[in-house]
Amino acid sequence: MTPSPPETDDDLLTRLRSGDEEAFVTLYRRRQGAIYRFALHMSGSQPVAEDVTQEVFLALLREECGFDPGRGTLSGYLFGIARKLVLRNVERGRSDLTLDNDLDDSTSRELAVNDDPLAELTHREGIAALRRAVQALPRRYREVVVLCDLEELDYADAAVALGCPIGTVRSRLHRARGLLLDKLKQERNPRQAVGGLKPVRCLS
Amino acid sequence: MNCQEFWNSMPLLADAAALANHEHLAQCPACVARLRSQLALKKGLRAVAVQMSRVQAPPQVEARLLVAFRAHTGMAAGNPQSVRAGARRIPIFTWATAAAALFAMAVFLIAGHQPDSASPAVSRGVEMAAAWMPAAIETEGASLVAESGFIPLPNAAQIGQNEDVNLVRVEVPRSAMIALGYDVKPGQASESVEADVMLGNDGLARAVRFLD
Repeated sequence: MTPSPPETDDDLLTRLRSGDEEAFVTLYRRRQGAIYRFALHMSGSQPVAEDVTQEVFLALLREECGFDPGRGTLSGYLFGIARKLVLRNVERGRSDLTLDNDLDDSTSRELAVNDDPLAELTHREGIAALRRAVQALPRRYREVVVLCDLEELDYADAAVALGCPIGTVRSRLHRARGLLLDKLKQERNPRQAVGGLKPVRCLS
Repeated sequence: MNCQEFWNSMPLLADAAALANHEHLAQCPACVARLRSQLALKKGLRAVAVQMSRVQAPPQVEARLLVAFRAHTGMAAGNPQSVRAGARRIPIFTWATAAAALFAMAVFLIAGHQPDSASPAVSRGVEMAAAWMPAAIETEGASLVAESGFIPLPNAAQIGQNEDVNLVRVEVPRSAMIALGYDVKPGQASESVEADVMLGNDGLARAVRFLD
């Protein structure tokens, strides 16, 4: 006997709108982690992330909830609401811009200079350094990295969430990754000036 | 193909296997190094994602949303503003709050009333429930307490204009209603009745609403 496939988000949304509490809880538990983490990455504040997560799911209860399945997935829609709410909070000054969560963030920034500074990115210190680098990205680049690289949204959903064309998502992601690499190299080898990171033109 | 064309053709490393045998990479050490960095970054970001995956919204968010959901589905259709107005600051209900409400009710009921009641004034049990706070109470203060069905407790302070209040649902003997002017038949005095108790910022009971 094969297990029945999990209900889609759209099915759960239909059920919750007819008052099905179980559907609401299922949908919330399925999506809350990603929404909360996105808000946390973007605001650096746990209270803001908490409020944003709450507001995102409250929005589903409202009659004027504007989700249109024809324009994208529910996940992309929820991230879009979360993004707007985070921006609103940041504009009000409710943002710490630091990730003060309970993860074991290494306090040591004195990392050994390595021949290949990116080789240790999957180690604890490397992960911590990468998280700091993501946090230090300008907002427009940070949000695309969080959505596509950390939460693994596809580009179409990310485009819905960000309210921009897919091509913009691609180009921002490309640029964001370049900025991350520069940031990591600078952090691991402070003696290497920014000028030393200029790309070498290849004519082959 | 030069470097620019190479990166334009596969900017997002979608297919690492195809990249491995790419003609341009065989001729360009700079792009090989850059590609290696990009792949290391991708792996590192994956590790960050795995590490962060255990970060979840605190449980109280789900509890608040459930309260809102139940209020929304329980109220008359087409009144989304009620959810909206009260949603941002739905109070967090704890057993401690419930106990405080019960204690406050008990003090009130024991202190001034019920000499002739055979039933104890202290409730036999507390059933905490995440009760929905009408938006009007939160925003309009004490003047609307009565309109919401709450009866202000004698000698209790009024609810301030912007004061956050908590509601707890308790179960009390029906005889407790006598103290607030209700008629209770002798045979029903020992029965239980549910009540919502409104607590002020200081944790003291300000008003009560019987659900029966």
